[in-house]
Amino acid sequence: MSAELITELKKLTSLERAATELHDAIQCSKQKQLVSLREQNTDLIKLQLVNTKLKQRLAIIKQSIVEENKTNPEMHLDDELSITEHLEKVFTKAIATAYPSFSNVPVVVAAVNGPSKFGDYQCNNAMGLVKKLKEAGINKSPREIAAEIQKCCPDSPIIKKIEVAGAGFINVFLSKEYAVNSIINMLRDGVKPPRVPRKRVLVDFSSPNIAKQMHVGHLRSTIIGESISRLLEFMQHDVIRINHLGDWGTQFGMLIAHLEDCFPNFVNESPPIGDLQEFYKESKKRFDADDNFKKRAYNRVVSLQSGDPKSTKAWQLICDVSRKEFQKIYDRLDVTITERGESFYQSRMLAIVELLRSKNLLELDEGREIMWTDDSKSGIPLTVVKSDGGFTYDTSDMAAIRHRIEEDLAIWIIYVVDSGQSTHFNTIFKAAERCGILNPNVHRVDHVQFGVVLGEDGKKFKTRSGDTVKLSDLLDEGMKYSLKQLQERGRDQILTHTELVEAQEAVAYGCIKYTDLCHNRISDYVFSFEKMLDDRGNTAVYLLYTYTRICSIARNSGEDFSNVAAILDKYNLELDHEKEWKLAKTLLKFHDVLIKCANGLFLHFLCEFCYEVCSAFTEFYDSCYCIEKNKDGKIIKINHSRILICEATAALLRTCFKILGLKTVAKM
Amino acid sequence: MAGEDLIVKFQQLGMSEQKAKETLKNANVTRNLQLALAELNQQPLADGVGVLIYHMATKLKPQIGEQLPLLVRYISQRKLDNTQRVDAALEYVLRCGQKKGAGVDVAELERECGVGVVVSPEEIERVVQQKVRGSYKQTLLEQRYHFNAFKILQEVRAELKWADAKSLKSAIDVEIFDLLGPKTEDDLKPLPKQADKQPKVKPEVKPSTSTESTAVGENGANTIAELMKTKVHFHAPGENFKTDGYVVTEHTERLLREHLQRTGGRVQTRFPPEPNGILHIGHAKAININFGYAAAKKGVCYLRYDDTNPEKEEEKFFVGILDMVEWLGYKPLKVTHSSDNFQQLYEWAVLLIRKNLAYVCHQKADELKGFNPPPSQWRERPIEESLQLFEDMKRGKIDEGLATLRLKLTLEEGKQDPVAYRIKFIPHHRTGASWCIYPTYDYTHCLCDSIEDITHSLCTKEFQSRRSSYYWLCNALGIYCPVQWEYGRLNMNYALVSKRKIAKLIGERIVHDWDDPRLFTLTALRRRGYPAEAINNFCAQMGVTGAQISVDPAMLEAAVRDVLNVSAPRRLIVLQPLRVTISNFPHAAPVELDVPNFPQNPALGMHKITLARVIYIERTDFKLQPEKGYRRLSSEQSVGLRHAGLVISVQQVVRDPATDEVLELICSCESAEQAEKPKAFVQWVSQPIELEVRLYEQLFKHKNPEDANEVPGGFLTDIAENSMSIVQAYADESLNRVKVYDKFQFERIGFFSVDPDTTDKRIVFNRTVGLKEDSGKK
Repeated sequence: MSAELITELKKLTSLERAATELHDAIQCSKQKQLVSLREQNTDLIKLQLVNTKLKQRLAIIKQSIVEENKTNPEMHLDDELSITEHLEKVFTKAIATAYPSFSNVPVVVAAVNGPSKFGDYQCNNAMGLVKKLKEAGINKSPREIAAEIQKCCPDSPIIKKIEVAGAGFINVFLSKEYAVNSIINMLRDGVKPPRVPRKRVLVDFSSPNIAKQMHVGHLRSTIIGESISRLLEFMQHDVIRINHLGDWGTQFGMLIAHLEDCFPNFVNESPPIGDLQEFYKESKKRFDADDNFKKRAYNRVVSLQSGDPKSTKAWQLICDVSRKEFQKIYDRLDVTITERGESFYQSRMLAIVELLRSKNLLELDEGREIMWTDDSKSGIPLTVVKSDGGFTYDTSDMAAIRHRIEEDLAIWIIYVVDSGQSTHFNTIFKAAERCGILNPNVHRVDHVQFGVVLGEDGKKFKTRSGDTVKLSDLLDEGMKYSLKQLQERGRDQILTHTELVEAQEAVAYGCIKYTDLCHNRISDYVFSFEKMLDDRGNTAVYLLYTYTRICSIARNSGEDFSNVAAILDKYNLELDHEKEWKLAKTLLKFHDVLIKCANGLFLHFLCEFCYEVCSAFTEFYDSCYCIEKNKDGKIIKINHSRILICEATAALLRTCFKILGLKTVAKM
Repeated sequence: MAGEDLIVKFQQLGMSEQKAKETLKNANVTRNLQLALAELNQQPLADGVGVLIYHMATKLKPQIGEQLPLLVRYISQRKLDNTQRVDAALEYVLRCGQKKGAGVDVAELERECGVGVVVSPEEIERVVQQKVRGSYKQTLLEQRYHFNAFKILQEVRAELKWADAKSLKSAIDVEIFDLLGPKTEDDLKPLPKQADKQPKVKPEVKPSTSTESTAVGENGANTIAELMKTKVHFHAPGENFKTDGYVVTEHTERLLREHLQRTGGRVQTRFPPEPNGILHIGHAKAININFGYAAAKKGVCYLRYDDTNPEKEEEKFFVGILDMVEWLGYKPLKVTHSSDNFQQLYEWAVLLIRKNLAYVCHQKADELKGFNPPPSQWRERPIEESLQLFEDMKRGKIDEGLATLRLKLTLEEGKQDPVAYRIKFIPHHRTGASWCIYPTYDYTHCLCDSIEDITHSLCTKEFQSRRSSYYWLCNALGIYCPVQWEYGRLNMNYALVSKRKIAKLIGERIVHDWDDPRLFTLTALRRRGYPAEAINNFCAQMGVTGAQISVDPAMLEAAVRDVLNVSAPRRLIVLQPLRVTISNFPHAAPVELDVPNFPQNPALGMHKITLARVIYIERTDFKLQPEKGYRRLSSEQSVGLRHAGLVISVQQVVRDPATDEVLELICSCESAEQAEKPKAFVQWVSQPIELEVRLYEQLFKHKNPEDANEVPGGFLTDIAENSMSIVQAYADESLNRVKVYDKFQFERIGFFSVDPDTTDKRIVFNRTVGLKEDSGKK
């Protein structure tokens, strides 16, 4: 190797080395830049740290919520407790502990109605778990499983003891201490609803048609809708009551035309339409017979829909007549409702058609525009636009459901309409879902359907002449019947006139409502004043009589029970007698009953509960002296604890009656 | 006043005035003596009693303080009449001390101490004779006076426990004399040294290393094993109650018994680093003490990551720590984490609240700073309230800094109610989002020790003030209480170990990374080529005393040389090559020579090097104008080539006409046998390969670069220039196949180690250490 070569080689090596060093330096300064970026941006670092801390705290708190709920189901113990829900939590925890892989099994807890040696509530999950465990290769008898679940039950202040009985039933015995406290709370603070998430609910009920009389069909919707509204209001929901009046459509053209002919001066002077139904019949007759009249009627429809002042005035006058009639009925039945008729949706119907068109959901069909509820185009489509360009019930109901969800912000919509409409409503619900108005994960919609009212002959309820029964007539008849019954009992001799009328109304309307509500609404029922006014069995009369009797006890004691708190400070509440305990346990079912009613929107559960309470009370009253008197009728002993139980029972019944729309009277 | 009074009284016990004054400085002994004096109540003392009282007072441990009157009585009554008996009494009383409140069985005490036992001279003579004329006769006749008579003394002692040591010794001497007669000349000669010692190092290196290796202080030892066996006197497992300051409770006896059942009496230690940084030379001491002590006692040692502070932990440090422990040659029984015990620690905290020994406090961190922070107004809050608040803290309901859990305890330094838990909304690298309250060191450390059944909790001196809280906590919870022993920290001069500061050095590009060989992190030392054994031996030399030690790197380097001297094979390398052409090269072609790896001991293997016509010698080994006493090559002076058997003489100096630089030497050679013996032999290479060699010097100019007095401008201003330089050296082709961390002595230069930067194409060596301490300053 020559000296030059070596020198060159050295140069090359040193160059190579320099290159490596430069590369390292670049790497290093890159890192340094990153570091210095962070160093300079102290705010960034601070904020990043704050963010990390917030995230960590959020995670911890979420975990804490889970833990607190899991380990302490009893922490929610308060007046708003539902016993079944609480026990379901207890058993969910127990099953999750005993059999972690089956922790998602739905827990079955039911109140025991039989003899109390089987406990007050029962969990029947052991039987179901046998099968599941077998599938997982574990053979265990239901009794063994029940015993293991029992062992894993967390302590709960409402449970006195838990026993395994029979083939594998887990029987829960309620704690008396808990019951005593609950009843005391009920007395002190009033009857409280169970705690449920608060929602905005819209109840669409009654909904009669203008210019037509309300009939028994409307009666059911009105009574059921009102009670559902009261139930949900009591459970602290935000309830909007809507009367979806039939105040729009072609029939108004002929009514307006007829009005123009009969009372040309209607714009300035209110026409004396006494019987709107008669008026309607007359116009209908002309409409069917007279083509000119028919033509004019159609013109009036167009002018009304386009907002012509004269037609609108005529329409308003006609509506007002009906409205007054309806209000009389509502007043008699103690119903509160906000009118929002079909006419209200006129502009919104245009908008919904726009929306459906823009979403390409409308389809031309022989001149009509229809909308299918799903892509398969099966079932019945909605007719959104008629071939003449007019709208239908489908259009107005779509506009209404959109308004209710998007503008009223209702989460839950309840339509109280007879069973005949179920196909229509199902279609509407599906369509609303399809076009994105209704989100089933957020919204709940129910069609609360009900059966027809039958006459005592088992056929559709009619007058003797075969006409539909007018509601006002029916109510009048009810008043007669109730007066007759009160007279039979000689009450007209005891009560003042006002008291008698009060009692008469309470009995008459109470019976009509209660009869409607105490049956499963889906089935038909036979309308019979005789049966309604029976004072035995599950009737309003029985309940009202029992209630007045309960109220009279405190009154008869000669002491003042109006200030319950003062009595409670002085006297203990005891549930030692078997019948006291039974009555107390019945009262404690209240929250479970309300939840059950609200879940299915069935009020007959509440009626049955009232009857159960009254029966339990009767048993209690038959075997437990509240006031002891000597032969002379002088009070020798007052059992305050028992009178307190009476007062609690009365308070609870009062609450139930309120929901059912029964008016209580002090004397009967 | 009182002091002078005491000095007089102490003198009455037989002390000199000087000693009395010194004694006064020791509060503990003074207190014991005062109590003893009170007990003696002016009664006249027999001869020697005072000395024994003093002896007792110095050895009395606090946990048996209540037995002092008894001991004083026994000493003054001459029942305990020598140190041996006093020691036995102390030992016995201490043994009784395991059980709280257990009295001392006087009969047993007297039996244990041989009270009243008198061993007659005849008895002694009889037993000694038995030994000397019996079992030891043969050995004695063979070894004569070289025999260590101590063995006999021990055996006789075993039989005659209470025999007076002096009379025993003289009896043995008499008997041996009787057997062997007077000492001969041979008996006075020292024993011949044992033969096959380690291979001798080069003579020129020898002086420096030998002086350094004997620099082991009186507290140190040459190896960790030796240190642990000879210089360290910790308690035996289960005898925790015998140690200074140990607190005995009614549970101690049971807890120690259960502890022994779990451990089988095995020594258990732990090395508990916070995983927040890189290990450095200071940690090496901790590792060696913990692992070394366990190893010496056939025990076990845990590696426990003290990861209670979520802010400080980084995954990369975890791996590095275990790596370094293993590099130092230790294997943990198990790697554990303090965070493994978070749940248990939490439950114990709840228990402490329930026992009213802890409370939730809302004092702000700022309020607790400084010397005399105000006492907490929440100290006496109801237990239930603290329980609920502590639960709320755990559940994330209270914001950071608004609540802590504090222990009802005052530390030695007067610190009130140390914090046990604080809120930190920071995810932990192991427990994730499970916790937002984290335990403090004070709270965690002792409890983790207890959980792991640690026998000896060895820590640095700073933690001495935490010892009482350590014992308090274990006892408050009624759990096994380990013993804390403290040793002094090891500080390295001219070094920097703070994580933050090293990061700064890296950021400023002063050093390259955490393992830059100029640093004193363990990875740096490994990279530089320091053998683990040398680091361990260095730690052994430092000993396990309470004193804080600051040493110069030279101490460590000496230990490194000691190890490398006997382990690093020799190679010829030139750092600054100067081409030499041998004009009369005696061979036709290049020849291969066999060269011993260790010239002092050829038995340890050979390697081959090539000798060719052109060789390279160190440029500094040739001088145009040699000074007086110069021994190597010059135009007038020849020099020998190591291992080549040749002596070369300069014929012609080839220079660069432009710079006048010497480019090449043309030399003639003679065989070493024929030539006049040269004054020196130098290293050389032929047909070389190139090596990159990195030479390191001390990074800092001052001993304590962090000390503002020494270095007012801060450590960054104290960086020495050229602390690292790179040269392209020439080596024999045989160095082509080295592996990373292979270590060699480059003859006449120093010790070198292969750097991890080495690739197939590029071999990089680090200078580990020069051959002599001052090699860098030439």
